[in-house]
Amino acid sequence: MIYRIRHITHYEYEKPVTLCYNRAYLLPRDTDYQSCTESQIQISPAHTLGQQRIDYFGNKAYFFSLEQPHRELKIDVTSEIRVHESKYARECELDLDFGNTCGQALIALQESRELPVLEAREFVLNSPMIKATSSLREYARASFGSNRPLLSAVRELTERIYTDFTYDPESTSIATPLDEVLLNKRGVCQDFAHLAIGCLRSLGFPARYVSGYLETLPPPGQEKLVGSDASHAWFAVFSPGEGWFEFDPTNNNMPAEHHITTAWGRDYGDVSPLKGVFFDGGKSQKLSVSVDVSRL
Amino acid sequence: MEKRAAENLEGLQYSAAGSGYDEVYGNQSQIQGHWQYLLDGLKTLGVQGIHERQLKAERILRDDGATYNSGSPSGTTWQLDPVPALISSEEWAGIESGLQERAELFDLVLKDLYGPRDLIRLGIMPPELIYSHGGFLRACDGLSLPGEHQLVMHATDMVRDSQGNMQVIGDRTQAPSGSGYALENRTVMSRVLPSLFRDSHVHRLSLFFQSLRLKLSSLASAITDEQPRIVILTPGSYNETYFEHTYLANYLGFPLVQGSDLRVSKGFLWMKSLGGLERVDVVLRRVDDFYCDPVELKSDSRLGVPGLLEVVRAGRVIVANPMGSGFLENPALLRYLPQIANHFLGREPLLSSVKTFWCGDPQDLTYVIENIDKLVIKTCFRKPTEQSVFGSSLDEKARLALINKIRHEPLHFVAQEYIRPSTTPSWNNSQLLPRPSILRGFSVATNSSYNVMPGGLTRVGNVADSLNLSNLRGAISKDTWILASEPEKQISLLEARPPQAANHASKQPRNAFPCRVVENLYWMGRYAVRAESALRLLRTVFVQLNSTYHMPQETRQVLLQTVTQLTMTYPGFTLSDAATALQPEAELLAVVLDGKRSGSITANLNALLECSDQVREMLSADTQRVINDLRDELAGLADAFKQGLTAAPEEALDPLVTTLLALSGLWQESMVRGLGWRFIDMGLRVEKALQGLSLIRSSLVPVLPEYQQLQVLESILLSSEVLITFRRRDHSGSDMSQGLELLLHDNSNPRSVFYQIDQLRQHLAVLPSAVHGAGLAEEDRFMLEASSAIQLSSLDALVAEDEKTLTRAGLDQLLSRLQYLLQETSNQISTKYFDQIKVHQQLVRTDWDEEL
Repeated sequence: MIYRIRHITHYEYEKPVTLCYNRAYLLPRDTDYQSCTESQIQISPAHTLGQQRIDYFGNKAYFFSLEQPHRELKIDVTSEIRVHESKYARECELDLDFGNTCGQALIALQESRELPVLEAREFVLNSPMIKATSSLREYARASFGSNRPLLSAVRELTERIYTDFTYDPESTSIATPLDEVLLNKRGVCQDFAHLAIGCLRSLGFPARYVSGYLETLPPPGQEKLVGSDASHAWFAVFSPGEGWFEFDPTNNNMPAEHHITTAWGRDYGDVSPLKGVFFDGGKSQKLSVSVDVSRL
Repeated sequence: MEKRAAENLEGLQYSAAGSGYDEVYGNQSQIQGHWQYLLDGLKTLGVQGIHERQLKAERILRDDGATYNSGSPSGTTWQLDPVPALISSEEWAGIESGLQERAELFDLVLKDLYGPRDLIRLGIMPPELIYSHGGFLRACDGLSLPGEHQLVMHATDMVRDSQGNMQVIGDRTQAPSGSGYALENRTVMSRVLPSLFRDSHVHRLSLFFQSLRLKLSSLASAITDEQPRIVILTPGSYNETYFEHTYLANYLGFPLVQGSDLRVSKGFLWMKSLGGLERVDVVLRRVDDFYCDPVELKSDSRLGVPGLLEVVRAGRVIVANPMGSGFLENPALLRYLPQIANHFLGREPLLSSVKTFWCGDPQDLTYVIENIDKLVIKTCFRKPTEQSVFGSSLDEKARLALINKIRHEPLHFVAQEYIRPSTTPSWNNSQLLPRPSILRGFSVATNSSYNVMPGGLTRVGNVADSLNLSNLRGAISKDTWILASEPEKQISLLEARPPQAANHASKQPRNAFPCRVVENLYWMGRYAVRAESALRLLRTVFVQLNSTYHMPQETRQVLLQTVTQLTMTYPGFTLSDAATALQPEAELLAVVLDGKRSGSITANLNALLECSDQVREMLSADTQRVINDLRDELAGLADAFKQGLTAAPEEALDPLVTTLLALSGLWQESMVRGLGWRFIDMGLRVEKALQGLSLIRSSLVPVLPEYQQLQVLESILLSSEVLITFRRRDHSGSDMSQGLELLLHDNSNPRSVFYQIDQLRQHLAVLPSAVHGAGLAEEDRFMLEASSAIQLSSLDALVAEDEKTLTRAGLDQLLSRLQYLLQETSNQISTKYFDQIKVHQQLVRTDWDEEL
C-alpha cells in the first residue's frame, strides 16, 4: 500500500513574530514495516535554515528558524510512504495466545544480556509525561496474570481502555495528568496511548509512544472530505526475544495497513509534532491543522 | 618580639587531640615536617598579627566584591581562613596523577555515553543507571568536540579518611565552580601573608588558567581560522557563584554574557554587541546544560539560547563542558567506577572513591535500608538546593519517611559510607582549632592529557563536627598550598594579572562586550544622576523647611511640588492638598526611603546597584569599592531617619551625595575613553539635562510674588550648585533672567542644560553608527534642534509673564519641547544600540515537568 500524506500546520499571530526557532517531528521515519519514499517540507515565509537529522530514537527531526518578521507561519509537509505487506500479513498470522507469558517476560527483562532487551529497559522507566502510579497498576493488573501470554494481556488492556473510556477532545489538554484521565475516563488518542504505556510500565513492561496517522474511510457511498484526517497516536510494547508490538487503544485494534508511523519515543514530549520558541508576536495565536491521508 | 610572641602562644599552640586524623599531626603526636614552617610563622605573627591579617583579607575580599550569593543578589562576602591548607609536594604528586587519571576516565565515560554505550552493551553498568538519570540528555546523543577530549574541565571533591588516604566523595563535570574562588583566595593570601607565602615555596596557580585558555583557543582553532571569540556564559547576577564568573571573565579576558546576549542566526552563534552581531566560537558555560536551549531542552528556560544545540551539532560553535556532561555528576557512577576503570584502563583507579551504594541495585537497596544510620544519602540527580542527608542525624519519623522515599524511587538514590574528614588547623575565635576539611581539585584538558591545578579549594566546617561542608551551610574557604621542595620558577610575575596570550590567535577583538553591558552602563549613569539630583533637591528643601526664616506658603508649595515632579513620585505634593504641604514629613520620608515607590531615592539607588551587578566585570577595583560604600550607606539610610526630619535631616543625605560624586569622579578621571565610558557619560548627560529641565519647569514657570520668586530661584540655584556664582555675578538684568541663563544657556556651567546637550552631541558624533542614509541621523537632528532652540531663545521672551495663566508661557513651551527632544534621543539610542528582543515565548506550551 502506498500513501500520500499532506499535513499542514498554520499559525497566525496577533503581532509580527521577529524570530523563531523550531523543531518538528513531521517527517515519517522508516520502520520494519514502512519506508518513506519521498517527503517534502515547505515552510512559508521562506525559512533561513532548515536541517534534518536522525535523533536518538531513530526519528527524523527537522529544525528550522525564521529570522524575518512574519504574521503567519505555514508548515506544509507532503510524504509518500509504502507500507509493506509484511505488516498486515503478520497481523493475520498473529495468534496472540503464544509467546512469552507475562512472568517469563519480566524474568527475561531482568536476566537477558541481549542488546535489544537492555535497550528496551529504557522504556520501563518513568518519562517526563508518564509516571507509573499505583492507581495505574491497580487498573492494569487484572489483565496481566503471570501465566498469561503478554501480548494477549496487552490486547485485553487495549480493549478495556477502548471500552471503559470515552473519546472526548474537550476533556483534556496535552498536560492533563494520567491519574486524572484515569479518574474521568475521558480523553483523546494521546491520553489513551499514555495511559496504556503508564499501565504497562507500572507493571514493569517496556512500552513506547508512537505518533503517526490513521487513514479514515468515509461512510459507504460518500466522498472523503479533504483535511478530515488527523494525526494519531498509539503505543508499542516490547516482549523479550520477540520484539515490539503495536496496539491502538483508541480504535481497539493492532495498527496495520491503515496506520502510518511518524516517530516514536518515551512519550509525546519526545516526538511532539512542533516545539519551539518565538520572539514578539503578541499575546495570542491561532492554530489550524489539516491532515490528508490518501491512497495512491 | 620573642616576648610578645610568647604572650600569645596560647591560641597558637595547635592541638588536635581527639579529632581523629589531623592534617598537621596525622595519626601521631609529632608535627609533620611540611607544617613546621607555617606554624612557626604564625607564632611569630602572634594572635594580634593574625587577626590584623584576617581583617585585611576581609577588606580585600569585600573590595573585590568577592561574594557567594545564597539567595540575595548582593550576597555575603566570601569567607577566607587566614591559615592555608598545606599538602607536601611528595604527597601531591600522587593526588595529581590520581586526578589526572580520573579526568581521563570520566572523559571516556562521557564519550561512551553519547556514543556507542558499550558500558550498557557489555553489562558494565545497569541500563537504568543511565536511562533514569535526568542528566542523560538524549538530545545530546552523538555530540562531539574536536580534539582528544570531550570533558574540558573536571572537579573532584575529596576528603582524607582516618587512615590518611584521600577518598573521592563526588565529582563536578557540568560547569565546575570553585577554581575562580581558589584563585581569588590565592591572590588575597599572597597579599596578606606575603613573606610567609614567598618563603613557603608554594606552587603557582597561573599555569592552570593558562592551560584552560590554551585549550579553549585550540578548540576554537578547530572551527575558525580567524581570531576566535570565546565567551563565558553566566546565568546572571542572581547565581550564587556570579562573582566567580565575573572574576574569571576578567582574568581570562573573555566577555561575560548571558543567554539573552547571544543569538543563533544563519546557523552560527552570535553575540549581540554594539557594532551588531559578532560570531562566537567557544562558549565556556556556567549554565547547567538542561537550561542551555529552550528549543530542545528545558522549554521554559530563559537562561539559554534558542537553537544553540543545533549549532553545536553542526560543529559551528563549541560549548565546554559539552552539554550532556552533567550525567557524570551522578554519584551512582562511583559504585561502578572500579569496573568501568577495568574496562577502559585495565586497572582500578589510583584514587579510591568512598564506598557507594546505588539503591537501583536490589542488594544495595537492602543494605542501605538496614544500615541507613551509618550512611549519607544523596539523590542521583542533584538539584541546586539539595543537601545530602546524614542517616545518623534523622529521628525515627524522618528516617522512615526517607526509607519510604527511597523505596518509592530506588533508582534515584545513592548512599555513601560516612567518612569522618580529617581536621586541619583553622583560625577561629583567636585560636587555631581543628576543623573538618574537604578539598576540591580541578583538572583541565590539554591537547594530550589533563593539567591539574596545583592546589584547589579547601573548605572547612565552622564547628568541630560540621557534617556538610558545602558553601550553602556557612563553610569557610582556605587557600591550598602545595609546598615545593625548592622555589619554583616564576611564570607570571603578578599572579593576579591575566596570563599573556600564548599566541595572537587567543587575543580577543576590541569592544568585545554585549549590548546588555552597554545598556546597563548607560542606565547606571542615568540612575546615578537621578539619585543625585533628587538628593540635592531634598537637601535644599530640608534646609529651607527647617530654616528660622518664615517661608511663605507659595514658596513652600512650589518647592514641594518640585520634589514630586523631579522625582516623578506622583501624585505626592501635586494634589494641592494643604494638609500634605503643612505636614510634608511623611511624604518626604517616603521619597527618600520607600524602595517600592518608583522614583524614590532608594528605588533609584537600588536600580543603580542592580545595573552595577550586571556589569561587575567592567568595574575597576576603586569603582567596586565605591559601589560597596553606596550599598552600605543605602542600607543605613533608614536608620539615619529613625528620628524623622527633626534634626538636620539634610546631613543624613550628605554621605550619599559624596559617594555619588566619587562615582562620577571615577568615571570622569579614571575611565578609559572607550565605548563603555561613552555610554555611561551619555546616560549622565541625558539624565542631567532632563533633571535640569524638570527642575526649571516646575519651579520657575509659575509666576510668584517677587520675594517668593527669589526664594524659589535661590533654592533651585543652590541645589544646582550655582548659587555662589549667581550671587557673585554682576547683575545687569533681572534675577530671573540671570538665573535662567546660568541654568539653561551657560556653556561654562557644567550643570547647565546646554552643556549636557553639547556633550551629548559630541558623543553621538563618534558612536559606531548603524547604517543610515545621507544626512543626519534622527537623534543628531533632535539634538541639533535642542541646541539651536536654546541658543536662539531670548531671555526676555523666556521671563515674560503671561497674565492670564500666571505662568512664563514662553519658557514652558521651550522646556516642554526640549524635554520631548531629549526623551526621543534617548529612545533612539535604545533602539539603535540596545537589544530590543529579549523574551521569547513557547510555540506550544509545555505545562508538564520536563525534568525526570
